[in-house]
Amino acid sequence: MSEVPVFFLHGLAYAGLLFLVSAGLTLVFGMMNVLNFAHAAMYMLGAYFSFTLLRATGQFWLCLLVCPLFLFIIGALVERFLLRRVHTYGHLHELLLTFGLAYIMTELVKLIWGNFPLAVNIGGFLGQTVEFFGMIYPIYRIFIFGCAVIVGLSMAAILYKTRLGIILRAAVNDSEMVNALGFDVPLVFTGVFAFGAALSGLAGVIAGPLLTTYPGMAHEILIDAFVVIVVGGFGSLGGAVVASLLIGELQSFGVLLFPKLSLALVYLLMAAVLIIKPSGLFGEKQ
Amino acid sequence: MTSQKKASYLFIALIFALGVLMPFMIKRYHLNMLTEIIVFALYAVSYNLLLGYAGLLSFGHAMFFGMGAFTVAVSLIHIPGLSMWNAVLLALAMTTVVGFITGGFLLRHKGAYFALLTLAFNSLFYAVATKWHKITGGDDGLSITRPDLNLGFTTIKMADLTNFYYVTLVVIGVAIVFSWYFTKTAMGQTVLLMRENEERMKFLGYNTNISRLILFTFTGALAGLAGAFYTLHFQFVSQSAISVDMTTTVLLMTFVGGTGTFWGPILGAFVYIILQNYLSDITDRWPLFMGLIFIVMVLVIPGGLSQIILSIRRLIPGKRNTDRPVAAEEASP
Amino acid sequence: MTDYLCIREIHKDFSGLKVLTGVDFTVSEKQRQAVIGPNGAGKTTLFNIISGRFKASSGSILFKGQDLSAKPAHVRNRLGLARSFQITNVFQELTVFENIRSGVRSRNGLRYNFFRKPDNNRRINERTEAIAEEVGLKGVMHVPASALSYGQQRALEIGITLSTEPELILLDEPTAGMTREETAQAISMIDRVTAGRTLIIIEHDMDVVFSLADTISVLHYGRILASDVPEKIRNDQRVKDAYLGEE
Repeated sequence: MSEVPVFFLHGLAYAGLLFLVSAGLTLVFGMMNVLNFAHAAMYMLGAYFSFTLLRATGQFWLCLLVCPLFLFIIGALVERFLLRRVHTYGHLHELLLTFGLAYIMTELVKLIWGNFPLAVNIGGFLGQTVEFFGMIYPIYRIFIFGCAVIVGLSMAAILYKTRLGIILRAAVNDSEMVNALGFDVPLVFTGVFAFGAALSGLAGVIAGPLLTTYPGMAHEILIDAFVVIVVGGFGSLGGAVVASLLIGELQSFGVLLFPKLSLALVYLLMAAVLIIKPSGLFGEKQ
Repeated sequence: MTSQKKASYLFIALIFALGVLMPFMIKRYHLNMLTEIIVFALYAVSYNLLLGYAGLLSFGHAMFFGMGAFTVAVSLIHIPGLSMWNAVLLALAMTTVVGFITGGFLLRHKGAYFALLTLAFNSLFYAVATKWHKITGGDDGLSITRPDLNLGFTTIKMADLTNFYYVTLVVIGVAIVFSWYFTKTAMGQTVLLMRENEERMKFLGYNTNISRLILFTFTGALAGLAGAFYTLHFQFVSQSAISVDMTTTVLLMTFVGGTGTFWGPILGAFVYIILQNYLSDITDRWPLFMGLIFIVMVLVIPGGLSQIILSIRRLIPGKRNTDRPVAAEEASP
Repeated sequence: MTDYLCIREIHKDFSGLKVLTGVDFTVSEKQRQAVIGPNGAGKTTLFNIISGRFKASSGSILFKGQDLSAKPAHVRNRLGLARSFQITNVFQELTVFENIRSGVRSRNGLRYNFFRKPDNNRRINERTEAIAEEVGLKGVMHVPASALSYGQQRALEIGITLSTEPELILLDEPTAGMTREETAQAISMIDRVTAGRTLIIIEHDMDVVFSLADTISVLHYGRILASDVPEKIRNDQRVKDAYLGEE
């Protein structure tokens, strides 16, 4: 079973990507109580922006920097001019709005880039392989996992170790009080949503060279990210870490061990968690 | 109250009479479109019972529509000599069972959680339909021929569009009228009251969990019936019938028409199918326009087309409605 | 003879906060029991546990010899137990008639029927009207609840509670926020409509308590401090201490 370590590493890489997508989703959900259906579409936008920018400049590192910034701006605009307007109508409308946005973004992508897969090739250091323990493994997959670790640790540090984190968590529990204390809560929410969008953009840039860039990529990752949130527990960052790892490895070894069932395994895991602990592994009871 | 009731029945009779006359008035191409509209009207009505009446936002309604569609196709292919009725009944039975079981899982969650889970379940069904090539035909889909209808004393040729149109008009029409009637029945009212104040309902002796499950199953079966006729209409079904796009379709129809009234989604189905037919002639990117219309609706007229019509009616003297929200108006006798 | 309602050793913790610490009391049939006590003594929590809104952390509730502890709220209601809410909890968008009918049809088994309309059921509609009349809302029967005055909403709250024909009625501060005259009217109305049934009432207003109850239980720091006839409670030193604050 010499494949086992390779598949394990594959699983880690996919887990890293899953975490990058679901971290933003679960952050926005946990902080703002908005389930952003457009999150995966924003991830896709990130991948497409990156594709174009990479073709124009050839600088992958530049994409990693600029594309999340683009998505940050888009996220801020969406929150400020669309989401905030429907907030008074309730959750149903917020959901519907993000759903409509996802729909439009997907169609726009088809219109601009076409309804076919695009291949992204990164040259340079990241495109090479490395040899260790007798295996030859692509550096890029290790890089993905590294990115996820860095993002996860920074998010935890910001949330639990800084003053900003304290304000954020307080704004969730009692936004009126925090507002009265002189903090601009609406601005905080705009920031959180925009940050979530930027994370999705980063994930998109990273996904480009790993997976294919095509209009169905949003839906594909959305379902997996939702499963991560359900399994890990709604709004829980730690839950997202554990569930991403579980599902990443499950997907990877599923292909190795039960190639026909690999798709169903993820859903089976979700169903099992729903039966045993409906609020998710790390979720608080609703 | 009674005059209003009479008016409703008169209106229904009028629509049916108009439906009966349609084949003599419009071209074949349009009759085809009208059949499709009727099928989707039931799908939208079933979705609105869930969204507008019970307040449950589901992104998985297509699993019932698709399940109904596939059941008819698969059973007609694999059971020789199966009558159309029995195929439709099988579809109804299948969606009822699936609705009951999935509902048991899904309804333990509310709001966004519920929405998310329905999407995940729908994706599971879609994945199965795509992978289980032997039964569902996978990407190729399944083709069928409509069996002729044996009424005992005579046989109606179903290959003829006009004949099939009449069958659709009667069966789907009855299902829609029953759904409307349902909103006035004890169960229909229970659903509305639960949306208004679920907690109080518990203290009045209602088992709200069971009520929700019953409603979910019922709307699933209605969507399954619509799906069954979808297959019979196109004489073809592929995995797109069970895709999340099919849920998006019904969501758009329902929302464009308006969730506040019973008939709004029917209007929505009408407008959607016509727009889809004409826009897709002009541009390949018609979903983009539908998406834009949807966003504008959410932002500007959350009540949909029926809200516009009701506000216009309010401007006409003598036709004043009360200022109560439309959903509650539906609830009142 | 077994007691009608028998509450034994009820404890309730809310994530560590002990709200009820061993409540014991019994109510016999047709008794009119008041539960009084300072704010935060756990009165409403006790009602929530009896009516099935919360589960007790431990302890048992026997109603006519049946253990209610594991039964959900709707089952308790069907066994003959109904409650009102301290904060008006009615169907705001519906008319008074529709509000009351929701319980009347439940009582008559017309809950989930797919074919029968409540509109067409004469018995249910007549009973609904009768209850509306009992609570003094006949004149506003077709007015939406949201358009009622505060006093009328409180009356509707009681009307809905009566709508399932309960044997045992739990009223949670029915006169809270009312003016003097409104309170006087409410007392006589409550007295009338609960005649012949068992009543447990939570009240702050001592006039209401003394004119309605034949037994008073004092709840203090999550336990029953004293249970007795009104005159004795009035003169009980421990009760005075509880209200005046003992350190």
